[in-house]
Amino acid sequence: MSEVVLENLTKKFGSFVAIDNISLRIEPHEFFVLLGPSGSGKSTLLRLIAGLEQPTSGLIYIDGKVVNSLPPKERDIAMVFQNYALYPHFTVYDNIALPLKVRGQSKSQIDAKVRDVASMLHIEDLLQKKPGQLSGGQQQRVALARALVRDPKLFLLDEPLSNLDAKLRVEARAFLKELQERLGVTTIYVTHDQSEAMSMATRIAVLNKGKVMQIADPFSIYRRPANMFTAGFIGSPSMNFIEGALKKDGEWSFVAGGLRVELPGLSFSSERRAIMGFRPEHIRIADEGIEATVSLVEPMGSIIYLHLNLGGFEVIAQHAGERKIKEGDKVKVRLDPESLLFYDAESGDLVS
Amino acid sequence: MQLSRAQKIGLFFIIPLLAYFLIFFIYPLYLLFSYAFTGNGGLTLANFAKMASDPLLRVSLINTFYYYAGSAALQFGIGFLLAVVLNAYSGRLKGFFKGALFVPLTVSPVVIGLMWIIIFNPTYGPVDYILKALGIAKYSINWLGSTNLAMPTIIIANGWEYIPFVFLIIFAGLQTIPKQLYEAAEVDGMSHFQTFRYITLPLIRPIMLVAFLLNSIGILQGFALVYEVTSGGPGYSTYILSYYIYQVGFSFFNFRYAAALSILFLIIVGVFVFLVLKFTSVEKYLGLSDHEQV
Amino acid sequence: MNRFNLLLLVVLLIATAIALFPIYWMVITSLKVSSEIFSYPPVFIPLKITLNNYYAQGTYYGALSQTAVGSIPWVINSFIASIGASAIGTILIGAPAAYGLVRYIRNIWLSRLILFMMMIPESAFMLPYFLMISKAGWINTWWGLIAVYLSLTAPMSTWLLMGFFNDLPKSVEEAAQIDGLSTFNIFARISMPMAAPGIAVAFMINFMNIWNEMLYALVLTYSPFPSGAQTAPLFLTGFIVIEKSFAWGGLAAAGTFVLIPSLIVGLVAEKYLVKGWTLGAVKG
Repeated sequence: MSEVVLENLTKKFGSFVAIDNISLRIEPHEFFVLLGPSGSGKSTLLRLIAGLEQPTSGLIYIDGKVVNSLPPKERDIAMVFQNYALYPHFTVYDNIALPLKVRGQSKSQIDAKVRDVASMLHIEDLLQKKPGQLSGGQQQRVALARALVRDPKLFLLDEPLSNLDAKLRVEARAFLKELQERLGVTTIYVTHDQSEAMSMATRIAVLNKGKVMQIADPFSIYRRPANMFTAGFIGSPSMNFIEGALKKDGEWSFVAGGLRVELPGLSFSSERRAIMGFRPEHIRIADEGIEATVSLVEPMGSIIYLHLNLGGFEVIAQHAGERKIKEGDKVKVRLDPESLLFYDAESGDLVS
Repeated sequence: MQLSRAQKIGLFFIIPLLAYFLIFFIYPLYLLFSYAFTGNGGLTLANFAKMASDPLLRVSLINTFYYYAGSAALQFGIGFLLAVVLNAYSGRLKGFFKGALFVPLTVSPVVIGLMWIIIFNPTYGPVDYILKALGIAKYSINWLGSTNLAMPTIIIANGWEYIPFVFLIIFAGLQTIPKQLYEAAEVDGMSHFQTFRYITLPLIRPIMLVAFLLNSIGILQGFALVYEVTSGGPGYSTYILSYYIYQVGFSFFNFRYAAALSILFLIIVGVFVFLVLKFTSVEKYLGLSDHEQV
Repeated sequence: MNRFNLLLLVVLLIATAIALFPIYWMVITSLKVSSEIFSYPPVFIPLKITLNNYYAQGTYYGALSQTAVGSIPWVINSFIASIGASAIGTILIGAPAAYGLVRYIRNIWLSRLILFMMMIPESAFMLPYFLMISKAGWINTWWGLIAVYLSLTAPMSTWLLMGFFNDLPKSVEEAAQIDGLSTFNIFARISMPMAAPGIAVAFMINFMNIWNEMLYALVLTYSPFPSGAQTAPLFLTGFIVIEKSFAWGGLAAAGTFVLIPSLIVGLVAEKYLVKGWTLGAVKG
């Protein structure tokens, strides 16, 4: 079970910088998720680790050994592709057996391993079928089987669930996580779907424009995003932002236009222009508090999203729904100072 | 030039093609030039100077133009019309018509020549009989034996084979137009003619260009029908350039002049293709610009 | 609207009649007895049907008449040349070249080169090919004919298969790379089988082109199997052009014989042919 270290890794396609000087370390047994919007470089990073792309500069270590010049087959990795990339002209059995055949294993050895991994993934009945005869979920399991059959040092997954329908996706998520925990194989998982990242990862690296924005466990990523990008990218609906200033007048407060939020018990190093962020669930309708006007009511079933005008700023609040509120109502809201986050207006970094 | 790893691997795969290209495309060109520009023991332009005063070449060029223009107009016109008609027709026989109209394309020009000799025979052929029965013709027509009618007969024979080519390509193009566009046009209140003018035509323009270019090249390739059916005659009325080159090379055995004529032919085709590529965007539709990316 | 559709139907029926009539006429001519072939008015539906034109050689105005069976030595050569040039051009030259161009060398000039190879008129190259094949001592041999026919099949296959390889998902090849296959094995064991439908289509288009080709065969061959490599179209032109034969029954039988293979291949491949002929500009 191996660790992966990237050192000052850069990849350019012509003049386009896909990966911009990334350094990070992935621990043994970790379920490490690369999360980012399309074009963030997450897939490129995975392909660099796989050896499908060559870095422009920087080093890739697997288990302490530089693998830059090794072709994919010598890196002892396995990969699952977004479209599964099964060999359409081979049976499921041959698809799974091929990586072993190529490595010159004996027929009986191959047979034992294929049947073993097939039973683990519950695809024993499909072994004689061709990929074209399988459903999306079955193909996905075959792709997993082909990747796992070799006992790879490293398991790479490139958006493996994005071609499944919503219900299957949730099932596959739990299955994958359970499987990874059982096998303990170091896993790097690329996705643009934050719920996948949140539910499976031990740690998440948020990527944007070829740079790492933050690496942390799912809880910290959600609760304390280190910068504006992560804060805006994680969470749906997205975090509310209000631009203003942190002021000290005895106690600290945040001032933006006609809006003033007292911050008792908090302290900052200096006054500055800042952006206040808070998630929809951290703004509550209360009897006392800041005046707001309801501009839109979006019922979502178990909860309701209220679009509020808060001192001239549009924000979204999550409302449990025990009190009937309609458009145009005037309400009072409270912000919990504990849950407020402040980002420097210039750098976009979290101010602590 | 330093080749990347990918280019080196790629080279390995294209070596058979490149080798073949050198031996069977570059070397023949070299042979053509070395024959055409030499004679009497040295370099000479005599083979090209001769062209200016060669009445047979003059006739061949005029006939080639006649043959090309007549064939292109006939094939493109009727092929286009049939495609539009079949596309507009709705009925169970649609698939049958498409299949039936495709059949002539599979027939070898030599077999077409044979059919034409039999069908257009003025005495026993059915065409004359039908024309007389319909009252269109009063007397037997000597299709292939008349200097005025031999070329049109060749053009019709050639058209019989290649109208389906234009038809199939344009029909395939018409089929790719999404149905919703027509529905949207109907909702917008466009007439049939307006729909055709503003939706159908602009959308199949690229495919029409492709059909035109490839059809033209096919027409210029023509040789077998003339060789088999009229042998250039009667008189020199169906002498076309490809047939003339064959005669000069393989009947008169004047290889040097035949080489010069071959170069002339290559130039004519080259200029034609160049002009089409230059003034239309057909290259893009052949997928050439796709390969520029990445 | 209904009347309009009726008009279209009439146009299509006339067009279909014209498209099929010459074939019908050739086939019934091959089945007619001589007195019905040469009769006025022409016989549109033969009363007497005979297969004599297909196998029984007779004399016609003192000369031996032709039969379909008589064309077999030429037909054998046609099969060898068509299959040989199509297989070599598609599998040994076209497929690897297309794969290399699409997956490793994306160069527009190489693509243009292939397009121009396909646009060279045969009559402009017949002289140099004749000189080259003579010098190699391959005149009137299968090898000479196939070598020259590759100039038609190899570029066509390359172009057609470039489109096919381009449409294959790249990730399957990457999966094979990770699974440990060598570059050549990925091509031979993964990509080629996946492109099998394309290879079949390229083969069929080439087969038809070569089967119907006459000009190169005319200058490169002079006698039929077993002494030479002359192909089926030259059986027909030989009797029509050189002997001025009027034995229509036998010629029509031989013509029908020559028509059948390309007709079958054409009908099987019909829906792919448009894509092939338009060099991928129309997705079939």
